[in-house]
Parts: sequence; C-alpha cells; structure tokens
Amino acid sequence: MTPAVFQHGRGDLALFLHVLGATTLFGAVVVLVTLAIAARRSADPQPTARVLFRVWLFAVLPAFILLRVAAEWILSLEKKDIPGLDNKGWVGVGFLVTDVGFLVLLALGVSAFFASRRDGHGRATTITAVLGSIYLAALVAAWFAMSAKPGM
Amino acid sequence: MSRTDWLLFLHITGAFLLVGGSVAAATFTILARRRERPSQIAEFLRLVRVALPLIYGGVLLTLVFGLWLVHDTGYSYGDAWIVAALVLWVAGNALGGIGGSREEKTRELAERLAAADDVATPELGARLRDPVSLALNFGSGLAVLAVLALMIWKPS
Repeated sequence: MTPAVFQHGRGDLALFLHVLGATTLFGAVVVLVTLAIAARRSADPQPTARVLFRVWLFAVLPAFILLRVAAEWILSLEKKDIPGLDNKGWVGVGFLVTDVGFLVLLALGVSAFFASRRDGHGRATTITAVLGSIYLAALVAAWFAMSAKPGM
Repeated sequence: MSRTDWLLFLHITGAFLLVGGSVAAATFTILARRRERPSQIAEFLRLVRVALPLIYGGVLLTLVFGLWLVHDTGYSYGDAWIVAALVLWVAGNALGGIGGSREEKTRELAERLAAADDVATPELGARLRDPVSLALNFGSGLAVLAVLALMIWKPS
C-alpha cells in the first residue's frame, strides 16, 4: 500500500500516521454528518445534536491535525530526494483539501457548536450535515489523488 | 493511470471504508455507553448500522484488491507480512463480528426498555459495561491497526 514515490523505510512512521489520521478523519466526519441528519429527522433532536460539537472537538480536529502534521513530515523527508514534489498535482490536491478544506472544517466546527447549543433546533444542524457532506466528498477526491496519483 | 494505480486506489478506498467505518461504529458505541435513558442508548446504537455498509465494503475491497495487488506487483502470497496481514484481517473481522452481535443484543434490550417505561435496568447497565464486549471491539480495532501498519512497513 506504500505509494511508490516514498522510499521504503524512511518515512514509514510518518506515512502510517498520515493514513491513520486521514482514515480516522473520514470516520469522524461520517459520525458528524450522521448525527446531524439523525437530529434533523428526530422528533427529539437534543440527544444527538448535543454531542455534535464534542465529536468535532475530540475526533474530527485531532484526526485532521494528525493528518496534516504527518503530511508535512513526509514532505520534509522526501522533497530533498524528489525535486518538485510539492508542486506535483496530486500533492496539490492534498494541500487544497487540507488548507482550503481547513476553512470548511472550521466552519463545520462553528455550525456544530451552534447546533449543540441550540439542541438541534435551527439551521445550524442542517448546515453541519451539508458542510460535512461537502468535506467528505473533498476527502474522497484527496484520497483518489494521493493513492492513484493521476498524471504523476 | 496503470492497472496497478487503479488497484492501489481501490485497495486504499477499502482501507478508508474499513478504518473509517470502524471509527464511526466505535464512536456511536461510546456515545451510547454515556447515556442513561434506554431510548437514547438505543438511538445511538441504531446509528451503528450506518457504519456497517462502510465496514463490509471495506472488508471486501481490502481483501479482493489487496490479493490482486500481491499478484500484480510481484509479491508472494507466502511473504510473512502478507500472511500476517491475512491472519489479522480474519481475526479482526471475527472479533468485530462477535462484538457487534453482543452490541446488537444490548440495542434490542434498550429498545424493549424504551418501549416500556424508558428506565434503565441493572441488566442494561451490565451489558453496557460488559468487559468482554469491550475487549472484543478493542481487539478488533487493534487488529485493523496492525494490518494498516503491516501494509506500510512490509517487514520481511
């Protein structure tokens, strides 16, 4: 499963942490979206909506930090040996999803906060479900680019 | 893109679904354990079902495209890390399956109590704190993590 671009052995721990962060982030955002949709559909949205912000704070955010820090670690290890690595398209997609996507992730945190505070009533729960779904789609695009490396 | 690129993408997609689905199922189970009313416990345990298609899809994709990749990239099916990964893959699925069926019985009990007077009984409390279920689910998660580590380090 190790992408061919990485020299086996050098960045293995960084790659493991990167993949662990990415897969955990995917699962955590699935939880957030599921809870938001469940709250929207429920006659009593309070129990599911109440935990939205905690899920963002204790699952989504740490997974994102692990993914991003490990990505920088990999890049710092490999770009000396592979000139122009940080300009390759598939690396760019990863940066786009993590850097621009971080703004979406922050917006997701804000909407989750208000959805939790308002016990699932109001628009914040719907916004959480929509933003979370958009972020999931971006993650799928990133894992396609990072794993298949089209045009490498 | 070459065939190997596609196989790798589909194999990694399986890993995302399997690990992501496991994280989701574990999170819903933890959230259920922190509730007191049976109706709320049942509600969170019902959400575990959302994660199941991800886990089943991940289990299938990782195995099928993993084995195909072994063939395609010239590794041997007898390599120690591949054998170890397959053993851990089976163990992880078995532990997760048994743990999941125990959680399903907890959900059924919570549903029955919710339909009655929505008051938790000592039996429900004991099921939620059941160390065997915890050990099975934790063991399954560790096996998945170990497979992920083997896929990356590929120790000979």
